[in-house]
Amino acid sequence: MGFLEVMNSKPLYIMVMIGLGYVFLMCVFMMQRAWKHCLSLGMTKSQLMDIVKSSTIYTIIPSLSVVIGLFSLSTVLGVPWSWFRLSVIGSVSYELVAADMAAIGAGYDSLAALVAANDVSVVGSVMLSMSIGIIGGVVGCLFIGKKIHLSTMEYSASNGEWGALMMACFTMAMHSVFLPARSIFMGSVATATLLTSALCTYLHNWAVKKYGIRWLSNFTMADSLIVGMASAILWTNLLG
Amino acid sequence: MSKHPGVSEYVNTAHNIGRIGTVIAIAFMLGIPLVLCAIYDIMPSFNQVVVGAMGLLTMYVPTALSEVISFTPMLGSSCYICFITGNVQNLKIPCVLNALDLTGASQGTDLGDAVSCIGVAVSSMVTMIVVALGVVLLTPLQPILTHPMVKTATAYMLPALFGSLVVGTIMGKKSGDYMIQNKPLAMVPPLIAIILFNYLIHPIKGKEGFALLACIPLTLLSAYIFFKKGWIKVTPIKKD
Repeated sequence: MGFLEVMNSKPLYIMVMIGLGYVFLMCVFMMQRAWKHCLSLGMTKSQLMDIVKSSTIYTIIPSLSVVIGLFSLSTVLGVPWSWFRLSVIGSVSYELVAADMAAIGAGYDSLAALVAANDVSVVGSVMLSMSIGIIGGVVGCLFIGKKIHLSTMEYSASNGEWGALMMACFTMAMHSVFLPARSIFMGSVATATLLTSALCTYLHNWAVKKYGIRWLSNFTMADSLIVGMASAILWTNLLG
Repeated sequence: MSKHPGVSEYVNTAHNIGRIGTVIAIAFMLGIPLVLCAIYDIMPSFNQVVVGAMGLLTMYVPTALSEVISFTPMLGSSCYICFITGNVQNLKIPCVLNALDLTGASQGTDLGDAVSCIGVAVSSMVTMIVVALGVVLLTPLQPILTHPMVKTATAYMLPALFGSLVVGTIMGKKSGDYMIQNKPLAMVPPLIAIILFNYLIHPIKGKEGFALLACIPLTLLSAYIFFKKGWIKVTPIKKD
């Protein structure tokens, strides 16, 4: 058997499905606990359903870009492992770089050269290297996640007004970095796309406030994402 | 009772469950390649794996850790599912901010933690379902999702996403039991610092995680100074 035959083998499909089934059940379990807790804190089912609807609608579009990644990754790493990697931790950019570096580590010039050679002996080193290389976030979360979260929570709770402002600072710090990084640093098309999406969100918020159409807020992020991404095609033709 | 004052039993238990769940997820990530290699008798040597993984660890561990430190205060106890399922910046953080926005809950509170968990769990499950559908419909979907126009649109997904998110942050004044006036002021100094650093010292492309780590203390300091000067005002919301 060659590299791609093993990477598309039945045992790998079965193990991947079990692994993904486990992660899915973990999400269901965590959600069920959170749901019950929200109800006990006085939230209504309809408020919680709004989160479910809004998160579902919003997630579909970015998830399609993961599927696009699946197409490119599956040609070099087979379908099941690409499916697992892109559902658990990974991103297309990381997986391709990781697989390429693992192939170089195995003595090939590139991932393409490895696939062409169809060398089955490097299956383990490629798969393990990819898993170990990306595991830093998960392991870090395991050791310091609880401490970071509880410390900030306690500090915020014991510092009243400043505590409330402090918690908002993490989101604002994120925007300070990603606002220029995803607009002016990327060029005019990205800037125009960002502004279009921002305008779309502003109009949604205005309409929700002005006309009291609360259900529209469930679609704000998804609509803005679609309008922004569609406008990128126009901006690319005009400015690109 | 929780051993952390001000932190509920729900949050404490969520962390413990998340940690156990993470250990099992890591076992799957490393176990699948090992079992596959055992089945086909192609077990790699320790050296082969280390050579492949070393470069990746050097590249990705610092970024992953900076993301854990920066994002965990926002994600709360849902950080475990977030880091296991990945796509933190483009899927999970927006869903957390959206869930908080829809419910009016505040980051760093018991309720905020639970609603964030629902948003993250739903988003993770939807992505897994969409990717699974992508696997099933691999052949018929490929020509549609790899169309040049779709590729252009997905290349600008992050600008479209941040355009929407930033408007939500700037316009949103409510933070749990408090109203924050002039909150975006705290973003100005780190924003200027990032722009100057990018153009005068070194481009931040690919190093956004480190930039975020530097921006958090700067945003906190700016917010604290502006809060003390009275430029940013935080007032408790009167409850009837």
